[in-house]
Amino acid sequence: MALILAIETSCDDTCAAVLDGPRILANTISAQADAHARFGGIVPEVASRHHLELTVPVVEAALAEAGASLDDVEAVAVTVAPGLIGALLVGVSTAKAIAAPRRLPLIPVDHLQGHVAANFLEPEPLQPPFLCLVASGGHTLLAAVRDRAGHEVLGQTLDDAAGEAFDKVARLLGLGYPGGPALERLAAEGDPGGFELPIAMSRDPGLDFSFSGLKTALVYLCRELGPDGVEERRADLAASFQAAAVGQLTAKLERALRGGEWGAVALGGGVAANGSLREAVAALCERRGLRLKLVPGELCTDNAAMIGSAARFAPRLPYPDYLAYDAFAGGGQPAA
Amino acid sequence: MERAAAAAGGWGAVGRIAVGLGPGSFTGLRVGIATARALGVSLGLPLAGVCTLDALGRALGERDGGGSSRLAVLDARRDEVFAALYAASGERLWEPSVCSPADLAERLEGLPAPPLGAGSGAVRFHDELVSCGVEIPDDADPVHRVAARHICALAAAGPDGGDGGPLAPIYLRPPDAERWRERDTFQRDE
Ligand SMILES: [Zn+2]
Repeated sequence: MALILAIETSCDDTCAAVLDGPRILANTISAQADAHARFGGIVPEVASRHHLELTVPVVEAALAEAGASLDDVEAVAVTVAPGLIGALLVGVSTAKAIAAPRRLPLIPVDHLQGHVAANFLEPEPLQPPFLCLVASGGHTLLAAVRDRAGHEVLGQTLDDAAGEAFDKVARLLGLGYPGGPALERLAAEGDPGGFELPIAMSRDPGLDFSFSGLKTALVYLCRELGPDGVEERRADLAASFQAAAVGQLTAKLERALRGGEWGAVALGGGVAANGSLREAVAALCERRGLRLKLVPGELCTDNAAMIGSAARFAPRLPYPDYLAYDAFAGGGQPAA
Repeated sequence: MERAAAAAGGWGAVGRIAVGLGPGSFTGLRVGIATARALGVSLGLPLAGVCTLDALGRALGERDGGGSSRLAVLDARRDEVFAALYAASGERLWEPSVCSPADLAERLEGLPAPPLGAGSGAVRFHDELVSCGVEIPDDADPVHRVAARHICALAAAGPDGGDGGPLAPIYLRPPDAERWRERDTFQRDE
């Protein structure tokens, strides 16, 4: 066997995967959500401590699930950016030290290219060219994918990530962390037209996103309503926020689609699990006669299979060239 | 590391991976321990963790010939030190702890005889410690640096056949407010 072992530790999930070409043999994730819930968000030092405890056990679990040993592995892939630097370092140190004594090549992978490359995995690999929208707690990315080796960033968030805005508004409405799914449930009971919220960036000719203004508008709205008013209209607030956020995502996607010839749209990232976003993007694709690829749930949130998938089309660093190689937090955006 | 293994006759000649568990910089500790754990998995070798202060204590013992008690002090940043005390026999008298140099000085007052001290913290807070009677070698003395060979010596002296189980880093500090700022800064930079 000539397998790729992939490791992903850029944010709060410790992930390892084993791939045989585009086929996933194992995709293991050890989520840390509980550890961060009491802080109401991700604390980098807490994340790093957990990654250290979990990375080797998760790698061993992935190999066991794949029915493989390290002798079957021909290359080790690892996320090197963007993300929390301390968290990335645990994954990179681990990958290097697994690869080096075996003289295996190391494949450094960009986390966002990983989200894009989730589309190249079986059972239904998507062929470029396509437009890819990734919306999660860490990123909001609109990318043009013309080949499998990379992507062109058409737009990204200028402030909060989409999922981060969902989490912050959920906290505002007393829904706990992470609040995305709870907010969606609450929104289902409310009136999306209950409050007039601005669709940010709608007059901006570019393809970038912004969610902090929407969150701020909600903060003011809650202040105006007062605790009792908020309590009474929580569902309407949630529904109105969700409608504005989804509206912005789909408006930018539609604008990007008008700018080129695209056969398909891929929707990924944790926020892609949001039913209202899925419906809006599906309707848009239907109107324009495009194929919609919904990245499967376990490949939407951070995972190592997508890193292994990106690694298949990325340059390999031979031993010993990578011994001095380090993770870098660059890219300007934390991963999630 | 690769050079050390090559000098030993290749990884095949290595029977166990020893690693310093700290205390020290959180990130540095994790890079070291993650590397050791992964080497252990890659090579199928058992691991042995060693307290970094113990390694300093041992270095002092070698130098001193075992005449007096030894104080291992590492600079913990933020005007604090990591410290542990060892008897002339090598036995650990104080468990590793993090404290201010003033608190350390106060503890030292209670000792029957002043110890010999070494480590980055002993260099940084040289005057404070010397005024408590601690004897500290010259700043340039190699005894102040944690040496991998002392980690190995302690690992070799420790219980045999480590099981490769979890090696707990010795953080001595909880994730704290500074890390919160790191998070906030990070999100602003986004
Ligand atoms: Zn991500």
